[in-house]
Amino acid sequence: MRSDRVVVVGAGPAGLEAARLAAELGSPVTLVEKNEVAGGMPIHAHYATLTHHFRSAEGAMREMIDAVTSNELVEIRTGTEITSVSGSVGEFTITVASNGTTEVVEAGAIILATGFQHFDPSRETQQYQYYEFPDVITIVDAEKMLKEENFVTPTTGKPPERVAFIQCVGSRDRQIGNEYCSKVCCGISSKQAIEIRKMVPNARVFIFYIDMRMYGYWENEIYWPAQEEYKVNYVKGIITEILSKNGRLVIRGEDTTMGRPMEIPIDIAILSVGMEPSAGTRTMAKILGLTSNKYGFIETDRDILDTVTTTVPGVYAAGAATGPADLDDSIASAGAAAAKAVSLLRTTAVTV
Amino acid sequence: MSTEPTFIPLDAIRRAPVPDPANAPTEDIRELLFDLEDAGELIVQRVPEPYVEVMTKYGRMKKIPLDKTWHHKSCGQCGHIPGYSTSIFWLNRQFGMSYDDPTDQTSCTAWNYYASATSNAVAQAAVASRNFAAAYATGFYPMIHCGTSYGHYKETRAELVHHPELRRKVRDIMAKLNKPLIVPEEIVHYSEWIHVMRDKIAERQVRDFSSITASIHPACHYYKLVTEDAIYDPDIYGGQRTATVTGLVEAVGSTVGDYSTFFDCCGFGFRHILVQRDFSRSFATQRKIEIMKEEANPDVVITHDTGCVTTLDKSQFAAKAHQRNVGVPVLSDAQFAALAMGAHPYRVVQLHWHATDYTALLEKMGIDWEQSWAEFESDLKRIESGEIEYLSWEDADA
Amino acid sequence: MSTMAPPMPFTADRGATLAPNSYVDVPYEEKLRLWEEVKSDDRFPDYLYGCYDCGICVAACPSAKYYDFSPRKIAQAAAREDVELIYEQMNDDVWNCSQCFSCNRCPRQNSPGGLITLLREVSVKNGLASAKDALEGYGRVVYKIMTTGTQISPDMLQPDAFPDWGPDVEKTSDNLDLWRRALPPETLHTTETSWVVSDETLIELYLIWLHSDVMDIIKEADEGLHMIILDVMEETLEDAGYEV
Repeated sequence: MRSDRVVVVGAGPAGLEAARLAAELGSPVTLVEKNEVAGGMPIHAHYATLTHHFRSAEGAMREMIDAVTSNELVEIRTGTEITSVSGSVGEFTITVASNGTTEVVEAGAIILATGFQHFDPSRETQQYQYYEFPDVITIVDAEKMLKEENFVTPTTGKPPERVAFIQCVGSRDRQIGNEYCSKVCCGISSKQAIEIRKMVPNARVFIFYIDMRMYGYWENEIYWPAQEEYKVNYVKGIITEILSKNGRLVIRGEDTTMGRPMEIPIDIAILSVGMEPSAGTRTMAKILGLTSNKYGFIETDRDILDTVTTTVPGVYAAGAATGPADLDDSIASAGAAAAKAVSLLRTTAVTV
Repeated sequence: MSTEPTFIPLDAIRRAPVPDPANAPTEDIRELLFDLEDAGELIVQRVPEPYVEVMTKYGRMKKIPLDKTWHHKSCGQCGHIPGYSTSIFWLNRQFGMSYDDPTDQTSCTAWNYYASATSNAVAQAAVASRNFAAAYATGFYPMIHCGTSYGHYKETRAELVHHPELRRKVRDIMAKLNKPLIVPEEIVHYSEWIHVMRDKIAERQVRDFSSITASIHPACHYYKLVTEDAIYDPDIYGGQRTATVTGLVEAVGSTVGDYSTFFDCCGFGFRHILVQRDFSRSFATQRKIEIMKEEANPDVVITHDTGCVTTLDKSQFAAKAHQRNVGVPVLSDAQFAALAMGAHPYRVVQLHWHATDYTALLEKMGIDWEQSWAEFESDLKRIESGEIEYLSWEDADA
Repeated sequence: MSTMAPPMPFTADRGATLAPNSYVDVPYEEKLRLWEEVKSDDRFPDYLYGCYDCGICVAACPSAKYYDFSPRKIAQAAAREDVELIYEQMNDDVWNCSQCFSCNRCPRQNSPGGLITLLREVSVKNGLASAKDALEGYGRVVYKIMTTGTQISPDMLQPDAFPDWGPDVEKTSDNLDLWRRALPPETLHTTETSWVVSDETLIELYLIWLHSDVMDIIKEADEGLHMIILDVMEETLEDAGYEV
C-alpha cells in the first residue's frame, strides 16, 4: 500500500534533523532509535562540547530533540530496531521490534542516519598500549572527563603536567585497512587541547600530527587560538610507541620538521581515534541491500552531485553513515535527505 | 576542580577485546596456499596431529604441532650457543615428543642476504623450498629455531604466493633438484611450541622461579616481519605486544620486568655484528641492557632468537670494562624453561658458553652452581680419559 | 588491501633535484638506469606506496639513533623518484640499515627496510664502489655461506675473531673440542658435525646458486671471491657427475 510516511533510522544529530525537516515539510515521520534515549553519539558518548563552537553537547541535542518531540507529525520509537524491510519505493513494509514484540510500519521513503562508531584502539597496529596503560586514553575518554570537569591522570588522580594528543589513530592507515581521513579528529583534539589548558592551566599540551586538517573556519576559530592564546604545542611527526618508564608514560617519535628524534615523558596520552561505520549502519545496509564501500560506509549513487541518494530507490542516507562527517556536514546532508525524500513522495503521488 | 585526587578506574572497564578474524586487514595466506595447491602449483605440508591452536595478532588460529617435528637449526646457535638447541631438544625428549635433527638442511642463508645483499629473491625462496622439501620427505614438520629464518621464510612464502613468475623460477630450480615445490601450512617457530607447552612446562617445574625478575626482549624478525603471524593474547599486555616468551615467564611464576625500550631491536644489525660491531655493542648495552637495569633491575634477560642472545650477552663485556651499568645474563626461553624443569645448567643448558656472569641467577634459582660445575668437570674428565667418547643424553640427566 | 589506481606514467626528472649532488662524475642516465632496475623488482610495489613524512619509521629505527640515517628519507627519495638523491643513498645510507624491519609498522605499509634490500642488491649487482667497500672484509663470510650453507661455523670461536667479547672466548676456544664432546645432541659433538650439511644437500645448494644468477652477483662484487667459490662448487658438482 502506498504511504506518504518517511521512516528515519537513528535519532542522532542527522536523524533528528531529517525527522524535523520532513515533518515541517508536512510529511508524517516515524523516527526509529535502537537506544532508549535519543541524541546519538553526543549523548551516548558523553560529549562535553561540540566542535567547533564549544557549545554544550547536551544543550544542543536537547534543542534538536525538542524540535522533533514538539511536532505532532513525528512519532518517536526508542528502544526499537528494524528487523526486516520489504516492498519498494512508495510502499516499503518495515518490521520493527521493541521489547520482544514486533510491529509493521508502512513507509514511502527511508532515511538512514545510523552513524559511526569510534575506532577501537585494540586494532591499531602502532604500539600505543591502550589496553595496557590506564593513562593512555582516547578522545572519547577525554571528552567524558572534560564533561565531568575532572581532567586528571587516571593512575594518580592528580592534574596532569604533560598531555599528548596522537592524531590519526585508526585513520589514514593501510595496515588497519582504513585509508580515509576521519575529518573531525584534528578539530576535536584542538578543541580539547584548549579545554584542557583552561581547566589545567599548568599542563603542557602537545599535539603530534601528520597533517593538521583544519579547513575553513576551524583554522581561525580553533587552530590559531590553540597556538596563539592557549600555547598548545603542535609537532609534525607521529608517535611510534608509548611505553612506561619508571611508572610514567614515555612517548617516542620523530620531530620531522626539526629532523630529530623525540622521547618525552608524559602523564596522559590521548589517542585521536577516528570513525568507522556503526553496527547499525552495517546492519541496515545489509537489510536494505544497499551498496557499501569497502570500509562499510553506505555509498551514494551520484557521488559529489548527490550526497544522500543511495543505490536503492526511496532510500537516502545522511550524516556519518555515508563516511566520516563533522556536525555541519551531518546537519546539511540530513536536510538534503529530508527534502529529497519528501519531494520524491509528492512527485510519485502525483504521477502514480 | 576538587583538590582531592579522584580516581577514574578506566582500567576496570577496559578489557582488550578478542580480535575478530573477520576484521583482519590482511588476507589469510593459508587459504591462498590451498588454492595454489588445488591449481597444482605447489604442495602444502599439513600440520600433523597432535597440534594446539593458538591465536595470532588478528584473531586467526594458528596450528602449532607438538610431536614429529623437523628441527630447522640455527647456524649461530649451533656455532656459538649450543646450549640453546640442546635445551630445545631436551624439552622435546622430556615430553616424549619425537623429533628429527637432520643433516639434510642448510641455514636459511638470510643472515648473509640481509647483511650483504649477495643473494636474491629467487635464491632465497629456492633455499627455503629446498629445506621444506627435505622436511616433507621425512614426514616430520618443520620447526624453526632461528627468528630470522622464521621471519624470512614467512616473507618468502608471501612472495611465492603473490608472484607467479618467482614461483615459476623456483619451481624450475626445484625440478632440477628433483624436488616438488613445498610450502608448509604454518611456519612455526620453536618459541611458539614453548608458548603452547608453557602450562605443561609449569606442571613439571621443579625449581622455584618466583623470586626471579626477567626482562623480555622480543625478537624483531619474530613479530615485525609478517606481524599477523605472531602469537598475541588479550590477557598478555592487553593483546598489544606479542605474548610469546612473556607467556612462558609468567607461567613459571617469574616477574616480568618491564622497561621502556621493549620494542627496540637488540643491535645485531646483520652486517654490523660482523663488521661494525661498535654499533651492535653500543646499541645492545645503551638502549637495552642499561635501560633494563635502570628501570627493572632484572636477574635475567629472556629472548627467543640466536642473534638477540648473542648480541645482548656478548656485548656486555666491553661495556663492563668501561664501568657501565651492565651485567645481566641473557638466556633463551628454551634454556629458561629447561632450567625450570630441572635441567642441568652445564650438561644441558651449557651456560659456560655464555659470557655474562650468570652465577647469581643460578643461586636465585636454588642451584649450587659450584657443585654443578664440579659435576660437569668430572664429565669432562671422563671424556678426556677416554672412559666415554661423548656426553650422552643419559649422562646429561644423570 | 586497497586497490591501487593504475600507475601514472612518470618519468623521473633531473630538474627535481636542486641541491648539488656529490656524484657529478656519474652520468644522470646511469643513475636513472640503476633506479629503473630497483623499480623493476617484483617486490618493489609491496615495499613502497607513498610517504606522508610521519616519521614513525625513524623513531623505530636503531640505525637512526647512531648514524646520520633516516628510513623516512629513503622512502621519501624513492617516492619522489629523486634519482640523484637515491644514488647518493645507494652509495652510503643503505649500508647503515640494521635490517630489523622495525620500520615495517609504516601506516602507508611501506617497508623502508625492504626497499633498502633492493637498493643494496642493485648496488652489489652493479659493482658500485660503496658495495665493494661494504663487502670488504666480508668475503670470508660470503665464501662460508655459499660453500658450506652457513655463515657461522663452530670453529670460528677464536679469540682473535672476537677480541671485544672478553676472555671467555679464549676459554671456549681452548676447550672447544672437549666442550663440544660434552654436548648431548649427536650433531653437536664436534666442530665439524655441529653444522654438518650432507654432501647431497650441498650439491643442491650449489645448483640453486648456479640457477638463480647469484654467481653473477658475486662476480660483479668480487671477482677473486667468485673464482674461489666457483672452484669449490665445480669440484663437488663434477665429482657428483654434474656438468658445470
